[in-house]
Amino acid sequence: MTLDANPAVIHSAMERSDEQLVRAGAAGDVDAFAELSRRYRDRYVRFAVRMVGNRDDAEDVLQSAFIRAYRSLDKCRNPAHFGGWLYQIVANECRSYVTRRARRERRLVHDEQRLQNVSVDGHHAADEAREDVQYALAQLGAVYREAFVMKHVEQLSYDEMAEITGDGVSALKMRVKRAVARLRELLEEVHDVG
Amino acid sequence: MSVEPHDSNDEFIERIARPLRAPERFGDDFEDALVAAIREDPTTERQQRAVRRFALAWWSVPSIRLSPLAALAIAASLMAVASLVSVRQATSRDRPVPVATVAAVRDTVTLVRFVFVGQADSVALVGDFNAWGATPTHLRSGRNGAWTASVPLSKGRHEYAFIVNGKRWMPDPFAPTNPDEFEANSSVITIGD
Repeated sequence: MTLDANPAVIHSAMERSDEQLVRAGAAGDVDAFAELSRRYRDRYVRFAVRMVGNRDDAEDVLQSAFIRAYRSLDKCRNPAHFGGWLYQIVANECRSYVTRRARRERRLVHDEQRLQNVSVDGHHAADEAREDVQYALAQLGAVYREAFVMKHVEQLSYDEMAEITGDGVSALKMRVKRAVARLRELLEEVHDVG
Repeated sequence: MSVEPHDSNDEFIERIARPLRAPERFGDDFEDALVAAIREDPTTERQQRAVRRFALAWWSVPSIRLSPLAALAIAASLMAVASLVSVRQATSRDRPVPVATVAAVRDTVTLVRFVFVGQADSVALVGDFNAWGATPTHLRSGRNGAWTASVPLSKGRHEYAFIVNGKRWMPDPFAPTNPDEFEANSSVITIGD
């Protein structure tokens, strides 16, 4: 094998484990934490965008969540499972952001108008279809939106969701069921208008 | 978005969830902004300094220098505390029972007795009042598995936790926890009004 034959293996051998990076980060090594961020960021971007509704806000929320994680690295009891621990913080930050925003802004009129303007002819580009559902999703309360996104977008099991949210499986199943029912109502209303 | 009223539930879910599963990515400058934000955040810098001090000081015995008058005053306070405070008994040796008890009030400082009941080789108290372990308060082992330490606290809200055997972070189950939902919560005690 030459050095160029399989650079991925060489790179992998030089990589530090999550545990090593967490311990280095807890001791103040910001670059080690940046490496953890590069390692896990993409896993949570989609979740954050679906939760808060747009990429700009999602980027702010994710950065805020990661800073909170950095501040609390010394409390990460199981550094080998850093990813799951970080997911808890990201989910919490998204939920808090959505709740705060809902209190701060009353956008129902705006959103209803937006929904009524949605065309339903079935020939939209994929991003437009996504935008329609995203707006319907924005009508749901934070916990219902979170449950739907975790279950049907991120495709987590109920046990995984329970571990991340700290809520019971029965409660999560009920939230998903109600979220789906409400989305159906909202999107069928749009269909009727169209 | 076309949603048919006659869709089955699974079809409906798949129809609306599929477009949401499209990947989303941020640019590689995300980490640059993150690192800059962390370095500009005075909280994280202060906290990291405290953690480093804590790590260095953890196994050393703290030396306390007191004037004779101060030593007498503290000794008198602790004797008063001993007569006022009843230590809760552990119902099980496997179940640690930390307790913080307000013991005696001075003009602006309240002496609070922290009690941890359970099996341990060492117990320390960390909180905002000792910079989260910059000068850790080591609890003393007594009878019935009770570890105690008395700490003067100023008026207001304080957060704290116990460190058991040098590594296990343990909030006080009898005290409220701080509002964040991290894996390792801290306990809250409010002194005064």
